[in-house]
Amino acid sequence: MADETHKFDLSLVTPDGPAFEGEVEMIVVPGAAGEIGVLARHAPLIATLKAGSTRVYLNRDTDDVREYATGAGFFKVEQDRVIALVDDAVPANEIDQGRAREQLETAQRELELVERGESNADRWQLEQRIRHAENQLAVSGRN
Amino acid sequence: MATVQDIKRRVRSIRNTRKITRALELVAAAKLKRAQSRIEDMRPYADRMLELMAGTARASSSVRGLPLLQTHEQEQAVAIVPLTGDRGLAGAFNSQILRRALALERTLRGEGKQVRWVGVGRRGVGSLRFRRLELAAEFTGFTDQPRYADAQAIAHRVAELYTEAEVDRVILVYNHFESALVQQVTVQQILPLSEDLLESNAEERQDDAMRGDFIFEPEPEQILERLLPVYLETELYRALLESAASEHGARMTAMRNASRNAGELIDTLTLAMNRARQAEITQEILEVVAGADAQTG
Repeated sequence: MADETHKFDLSLVTPDGPAFEGEVEMIVVPGAAGEIGVLARHAPLIATLKAGSTRVYLNRDTDDVREYATGAGFFKVEQDRVIALVDDAVPANEIDQGRAREQLETAQRELELVERGESNADRWQLEQRIRHAENQLAVSGRN
Repeated sequence: MATVQDIKRRVRSIRNTRKITRALELVAAAKLKRAQSRIEDMRPYADRMLELMAGTARASSSVRGLPLLQTHEQEQAVAIVPLTGDRGLAGAFNSQILRRALALERTLRGEGKQVRWVGVGRRGVGSLRFRRLELAAEFTGFTDQPRYADAQAIAHRVAELYTEAEVDRVILVYNHFESALVQQVTVQQILPLSEDLLESNAEERQDDAMRGDFIFEPEPEQILERLLPVYLETELYRALLESAASEHGARMTAMRNASRNAGELIDTLTLAMNRARQAEITQEILEVVAGADAQTG
């Protein structure tokens, strides 16, 4: 007799719209204190997320996994309805390594100028760009 | 009377202008559509963010001490953030923002308060600089297609100004999009955040009771500390998107009017040109006839 696996509804939402919506078996997100894995019927949870890799398992038997490079954000588990709110979510297979590397280098160069006092660009924004670019490279580098 | 050639030249010039205004109108219309759908795309994120804030606040022992919520005792300085575009040819889009922002400044100065400016959009920055006003920050180069990262940058700067007590209130002045014909100047206080944001209704409290407590990672107070700045980013992003849609709508309408005016001018001038041409022909005929007369007569 087949073991009925329970699924839950997942929404991975960004300010530009949902990156993923549907029923899944498991999700692993980069919590601020470490990775969080969630299956159906998980206890209610609210957590903060840092930039990293989010893996959505639609079906663990058939290895149907979607990976995303996600930015920082928040995570909420509630009665089989899971929401991840992140500032960006790029599907792993859509990451443009060349562009990510370019973004990284540009931001790092700009940051150096700021540190030398030669530019008054927004330091915080540059640091975010660096983190996101490094994240994209890390995720796509593994695939 | 101007010669046929003069008028022809003018008509040609206006026809070329009309080609440009028509093209700009079409481009603006396409960008407007995209801008409108991005406003819709933002809604789920914004709604969930509010839910999350209320839910986390319910579990927090205290929401005091959150810098973005705290009202400053004395209001000595106010930051005004006018959202303008980078380019013109958008009808009253830019001018109505600046007019309102400057009127706001006069009122505040009248109340004895200092005003700091955060310029968004080249037109606004240029205009404020021209008036020799000092800018606490400027953000340009993205206003017709803002990304979330742009909203984050502005939010970061204004939050900094507020928490470091360089200002005691931050006010946004932007165009709210109603339709391609109507963009409403809106003045909105974005800092300090209102405590109403953290309120829950009876239904939400009931859900809480039924579901049981959330696990929080880290503590709810720490989560709220992160949530509030992100909420500010969301509000700024929404305003930037509205402003972008307004800009494209205003430009589309302005260009459509310009094309129509050009068309009318062409019609008027063509009539004048035909009259001039007929007058020239008549003149030639008269000259030929007079010449022939002189010869035979």
